[in-house]
Amino acid sequence: MAEMFSTLGTWNWLIFGFLLMALELLAPGVFMFWLGLAALLTGLVSFAFNPTWQTQLLMFAIFAIAAVPAWRYFARSAGSRNLSSPFLNRRTEALIGREFTLEKPIVDGTGTVRIDDTIWRVAGPDAPAGSRVKVVRADGASLTVAAA
Amino acid sequence: MTGFDIFAIAFVLLVIVTLFAGVKTVPQGYDWTIERFGKYTRTLSPGLNLIVPYFDRVGRKMNMMEQVINIPEQEVITKDNATVTVDGVAFFQVFDAAKASYEVANLEQAIIVLTMTNIRSVMGSMDLDQVLSHRDEINERLLRVVDAAVSPWGLKVNRIEIKDIVPPADLVEAMGRQMKAERVKRADILQAEGQRQSEILRAEGAKQGQILQAEGRREAAFRDAEARERLAEAEAKATQMVSESIAKGDIAALNYFIADKYIKAFGQFAESPNQKILMIPVEATSVLSSLAGIGEIAKAAFGESAASATSAARRTSSVPSSGPTPPPITPQQ
Repeated sequence: MAEMFSTLGTWNWLIFGFLLMALELLAPGVFMFWLGLAALLTGLVSFAFNPTWQTQLLMFAIFAIAAVPAWRYFARSAGSRNLSSPFLNRRTEALIGREFTLEKPIVDGTGTVRIDDTIWRVAGPDAPAGSRVKVVRADGASLTVAAA
Repeated sequence: MTGFDIFAIAFVLLVIVTLFAGVKTVPQGYDWTIERFGKYTRTLSPGLNLIVPYFDRVGRKMNMMEQVINIPEQEVITKDNATVTVDGVAFFQVFDAAKASYEVANLEQAIIVLTMTNIRSVMGSMDLDQVLSHRDEINERLLRVVDAAVSPWGLKVNRIEIKDIVPPADLVEAMGRQMKAERVKRADILQAEGQRQSEILRAEGAKQGQILQAEGRREAAFRDAEARERLAEAEAKATQMVSESIAKGDIAALNYFIADKYIKAFGQFAESPNQKILMIPVEATSVLSSLAGIGEIAKAAFGESAASATSAARRTSSVPSSGPTPPPITPQQ
């Protein structure tokens, strides 16, 4: 086995890279693909300069670290942003800006409104029941309202 | 193997391990809390996240999706001391992963216990009938109380629904009988009502009929009276005319008239087809007197001459013999 690795030389890196990339498909979300990319890069550089295996290892480590910012860039770019449903699992943020009628008056800072067949507790300046309020802020499960 | 060789291998391993520790991909629907040296620092949202390896650690992986938990069956004693078995479901969603992770231990258990105790207190304040018929109200009251209680935990209870309310079997049976009796009562009342209505209608009809009949009779009586009046008037007029004409003329004419009618009436008796019975309203004397009346007529007609008077008397006496038998008293068989 060790003999095979030594005879294959720089091909090892390319094979290793492809293997890692394939592993990424089996276990998505882990960092395998970028490690594979780093391995491929190392292999290509090794073909050109043929450095010692220790240097190749160090190169692989450095490429792997460098892949993090690259990955981050792709992850943050427009393609991966959730455009079709930006408020997925963040229901309260979708309520910001909407107006509702107070069901129970806001007394001492808390009252209730009825939204989508359930009751939400809201915080805001005191107001009588039936008055229109606008959601201005959502923090966790609590909504802050202002008079609309 | 030189020290550099080992260093290179160790470095690569370290880099790989560190990368795995630092790069975190959070799946959609979850929020991960990050603890630095055991203390909560921040929350990772879905997608790619980097944390500082060695310092930061993933704490809780909090499910941010709406979740359903079953509220297990429990026995509740209502205000009127009926024991019912109740179960339900609760829907809740975590909005603040940090609070849900660290403000409460064993989140689901806490919600279940809280809901169960509140079901007891809400239903315990209601009568069995109310409990059975006011589910919406129960759900709403539960929701308000439980939602307020869980809000410090960074989550929201969206709905609480009572699934089943099962009263004991004997109560169910009694309720069934009550319902049946209620319906029977309603049916009876309806029937009686119908009967009453129909009888009223019938009486009303009879009354109308009688009124109409009476009215008809009244009208007829009026007309009858009118007719009699008219008749009487006509009679009076006729009598007047007769008496007038008598006053103008001779009384003997009247006598002739009467005698003629009388005799004709006897003639009719004789021709009467009824041969069994003969009514006899006739007094022979009065017939004779009528004959005397005729004699007077004759006298008046033929003057005072005696000779002519005797012949006239003979003629007059022959008049009755030529007519029917004056005393037709014998019943003819």
